[in-house]
Amino acid sequence: MSFLNMFGKEKERPTAATADDRLSLVLSYQRSDIDERRLKQFQARLIDLCDEFGYDVVGQVEIRPQSRPKDNTTILNASIPVRLRANADDEESADL
Amino acid sequence: MEHKSVAITVTSGKGGVGKSTTVASVGLALAQLGRQVCVMDTDIGLRKLDLMLGLENRIVYDLIDVIEGTSKLRQSLVRHKEYPTLALLPAAQTRYKEEVSPAQVKQLVDELRPEFEFILIDSPAGIEGGFRNAIAPADRAILVVNPEIPSVRDSDRVIGLLESADLEQIDLIVNRVQPGMVKDGDMLSVERVQNHLAINLLGIVPEDRRIIRSSNTGEPVVLDEKSLAGRAFNNIARRINGEEVPYLDLEETSLINRIKRIFHIA
Repeated sequence: MSFLNMFGKEKERPTAATADDRLSLVLSYQRSDIDERRLKQFQARLIDLCDEFGYDVVGQVEIRPQSRPKDNTTILNASIPVRLRANADDEESADL
Repeated sequence: MEHKSVAITVTSGKGGVGKSTTVASVGLALAQLGRQVCVMDTDIGLRKLDLMLGLENRIVYDLIDVIEGTSKLRQSLVRHKEYPTLALLPAAQTRYKEEVSPAQVKQLVDELRPEFEFILIDSPAGIEGGFRNAIAPADRAILVVNPEIPSVRDSDRVIGLLESADLEQIDLIVNRVQPGMVKDGDMLSVERVQNHLAINLLGIVPEDRRIIRSSNTGEPVVLDEKSLAGRAFNNIARRINGEEVPYLDLEETSLINRIKRIFHIA
C-alpha cells in the first residue's frame, strides 16, 4: 500500500515539524510560567500604555511567547493593532 | 584505594522512557571497563533494576533495611556473578517512598563512595518525593528522553528542578530513536530535542527489539554484540569513563535496507 501511495500523493507537512512547533510553544509557556490571568493583565497594561502614548488600539491584542532554545529564554511577541489618535487641537482647527 | 567517586542520578520526566535499561546497561558496561560500580534503585515500591540485571532471585536485604539498620550496607549489596565489580543496591518493593528522606539517601551514598567509582542512581519517574530522594546525593544527572512531545515537555520541567539543585552537570540521552521515522519526518530528530532542552548530549540510543529480549532474559543489552542499542550504551559508558567516542551512525546502509526504504517498507 505504501508503495502505491508513492504515486500521485500530495506532499503533506511532516508531523515532526508540527510537533516541533507545538513543543516550542508548550515550552515557552512552561518556562515563562505565564498563566492566562497574568497574560490578560499584561494585555490590559499594554492597552493603557498605548493610550498614554496617543495610540488607539483598534483590534485584538495578541501576546505569543516563543522559546529561544540556545539560551533557554522566552521572547514575548506582542501584536497590537493601533491607529495614531488624531490630535484634539488639530480636530478643532479642522472643524473651523 | 583512593579514587574520586561520582554519583550520577538517571532520571526522566515521564515513566517508560528507559531509565532502568540505561542504568543497568551503562552500569554493566562501566564494570566491563574495569570500574567499581554500584547501581542503586530508589524507586521504592516499584523496583525494576534487579530484573534488568537478572539479580531478582538473589535479593535478601534492600535500601530501606540499610537505612533502618536491619542490615549492614555490605550485606545488602548484590554482586553480579560474572562482573563482580558491579553491585546492586535494590529498592524495597513492599514499602512506601515516604519512609525514606533525601538526607538518608545522601548518607547512604556517602557510605558507598569509598568503595565505588561510579554510583548510578535509578530515579523514579516524576517530580515528587522519590525524585527528590534520588537527586539529593547526586553530583551529576543524566536525563533520559524519548523523541516525542510529552517526554520532552516533562524533561524540560525536570531540568529546571535539577538546575535549582545545583548539580555539576546535566547530560542528555535521547532513547528509542527510530531513524526511519526521523527520515520520513514523523519523529523529532535528536538535534531538535537537544535544541529544545539546551543541555549536553551524552548519547543517542536507537529503538531496538533486542531490548525486550534482554529484559526477558535479565541480560543487559550491552552483552548482545548484535544490538545497536547495546553498542550505543557501551559508547555512553565510555564517554562517562572519560573517553571521546563519536556518536553512532544510526542510518543503516545495507543494500536491503536501502531497497526497503525506497519502497517505504523499512
